[in-house]
Amino acid sequence: MVEKIKAELGAALGGVEIRETEYRERGYHLSCEASPGELLKAARFFDECGFYLAAIVCVDYREYLELVYIFANHSALCKTKVTLKLDPAKPAAPTLSAIFDCAYWHEREIREFYGVLFDGHPNLTYLFLHEGIDAYPLRKEQVLLADEDKKALGAFRPEEGEDTFFVNLGPQHPSTHGVLRVVLKMDGEYIQSAEPVLGYLHRMHEKMAENRSYLQFLPNPSRMDYLGAMSFNLGHVTAVERLCGIAVPDRANCVRVIATELNRISSHLLWLGAYLADLGALTPFLFVFDDREQINDVLEAVTGSRLTYCYFRFGGLYNDVDEAFIAGTKAFIERMRGRFGLYEKLVGGNVIFINRTRGIGVIEKERARKYAVSGPVLRGAGIAMDMRKAEPCAAYSEMDFDIPVGTRGDALDMYRVRVREMGTALDIIEQALARLPDGPVMAEKVPKKLKPPKGDLYHTVETPRGELGIYIVSDESDRPYRMKWRVPSFSNLMIFPELARGNLLADAVAILGSLDLVIPEIDR
Amino acid sequence: MLDLARANSIWPMTFGLACCAIEMMSTAMSRFDLDRFGAGVFRATPRQADLMIVTGTVTRKMAPVLTRLYEQMPSPKWVIAMGNCAISGGPFVFEGQYNVIEGVDLLVPVDVYVPGCPPRPEGLLEGFLKLEEKITGKRRFPGPDSRW
Repeated sequence: MVEKIKAELGAALGGVEIRETEYRERGYHLSCEASPGELLKAARFFDECGFYLAAIVCVDYREYLELVYIFANHSALCKTKVTLKLDPAKPAAPTLSAIFDCAYWHEREIREFYGVLFDGHPNLTYLFLHEGIDAYPLRKEQVLLADEDKKALGAFRPEEGEDTFFVNLGPQHPSTHGVLRVVLKMDGEYIQSAEPVLGYLHRMHEKMAENRSYLQFLPNPSRMDYLGAMSFNLGHVTAVERLCGIAVPDRANCVRVIATELNRISSHLLWLGAYLADLGALTPFLFVFDDREQINDVLEAVTGSRLTYCYFRFGGLYNDVDEAFIAGTKAFIERMRGRFGLYEKLVGGNVIFINRTRGIGVIEKERARKYAVSGPVLRGAGIAMDMRKAEPCAAYSEMDFDIPVGTRGDALDMYRVRVREMGTALDIIEQALARLPDGPVMAEKVPKKLKPPKGDLYHTVETPRGELGIYIVSDESDRPYRMKWRVPSFSNLMIFPELARGNLLADAVAILGSLDLVIPEIDR
Repeated sequence: MLDLARANSIWPMTFGLACCAIEMMSTAMSRFDLDRFGAGVFRATPRQADLMIVTGTVTRKMAPVLTRLYEQMPSPKWVIAMGNCAISGGPFVFEGQYNVIEGVDLLVPVDVYVPGCPPRPEGLLEGFLKLEEKITGKRRFPGPDSRW
């Protein structure tokens, strides 16, 4: 696959040098540097080949700005990095939003944080930030916003037509699960267009990463996605380990899998409760919290926290598991297996629930690719893609599990995929418990101050919400030069305006819930 | 008498901002059961609520929304700042930060502070007891030993 893409891409671009890189070190197979025209050609080439645009990252190297495009594939492991150099005084690049829909959002983000202008982009207005911020936050040197830039960024104003009116869903609305605001243009009860406004919980994680060492940044990822905190913690830790070449003991790898999967179940459970509460069923909420508390008890004993875990360390774990943990996990597995029948009776077979979700928010495969959605939303659309299988970290490569997929891609399928995923998570935990080896849980001689070699890395892990990509640029110091978090909820939210169009307001709530969004993760 | 009635039926507003909101939900749910204190009736509108629990980081974009919601609540009203972010900006305060309000008390008057990142449900329950104490002047039942 890699060879084929290299040859074909080379032919499509004509004369551009395409380098093969060491996948184990870099996280991508091919890289090339393009000019604006070649970038468009490359994007069209990847679109034709069925690739998706995983992320766009901007890095400020002081002498120049660099845009990094990561293209990846659902069916085979083949990642390509395409870079584009920009002049920091007047950064401008062509937009890819006409080719990949997800670029529309990534480019708006880069516009706000770096001031890069994208030629031909339909709507470069504030997405995360607001008028109160005077400089581009992520530029290395202070670059102030010119007045006309501010005016252009603040240009978004809801406009009412003759027969339409606006409804603000959020930023303080129970069904948005946090502080997401969606401006809905309504034609009677039907939605004409939806425009998400983000950034009500923008906590500057990426800026913080540049300001502190790798170790000091450890507590932050779990505060991005507090429901899948373990997966985010795992992503950060494994990315830095990969960058520094630290080997982790087997026992630690196994425990990582157990803890992450327990956390995944607890995340899906909370989603289940909250989603049904959105749809008007409050009873399941009480049931899922009962189960969640059992997981919290087990994890709290070894990690020391109930929610925002910071359990993994570079090279291993903070604390070894004990007999009580293993016994508690086994007891939980047994209890949980008995609960699925109850949930099926209470929820899955409920006529009201089925009628409210069947055929709602249907995502086709092609649309899923264009928007680069991931996780259960992608699998609900029928694409069997799971980072635990595609790019296994920790001990996932030794686990045997299948990937549940949906058939229709509607909200009901998302529900079924998530419930079945809880089952596979239990299988994985059982396997990991069975083969849990003895030995240390911490690698020897991990330096206190980590100074990874120069270079970059795009590392992915599967979180409960989908593909988390971490792009790190190291300049040999103990702090990351740039750390970009490609978060799954952000990509999954992008598709919402298209799904909501033409639907009833009540159905929009059902669609929004089925995407399983965690707002602090989107806002970062 | 009125105070006693108020203290035993505090209606909080569902104001989930970030991580602490999940712990607030845990507090209200099966195991910790906030209803024991008459405070489990979460209202989705500020017009029916007496208590705003600020659960999480308040950003500069959220600040006007928060003050407006507070002003929409009918008096008498109270505020609990839950978690380090709401108290002081918590871990998100660093030199050059541009988006976080360093403490919700800069925006609205706060009655009870519950520290933690996030606080445990027991912590929030204690916050509720403290608030009741503030309203009625006496504690529902003896507090933890304060020798240390």
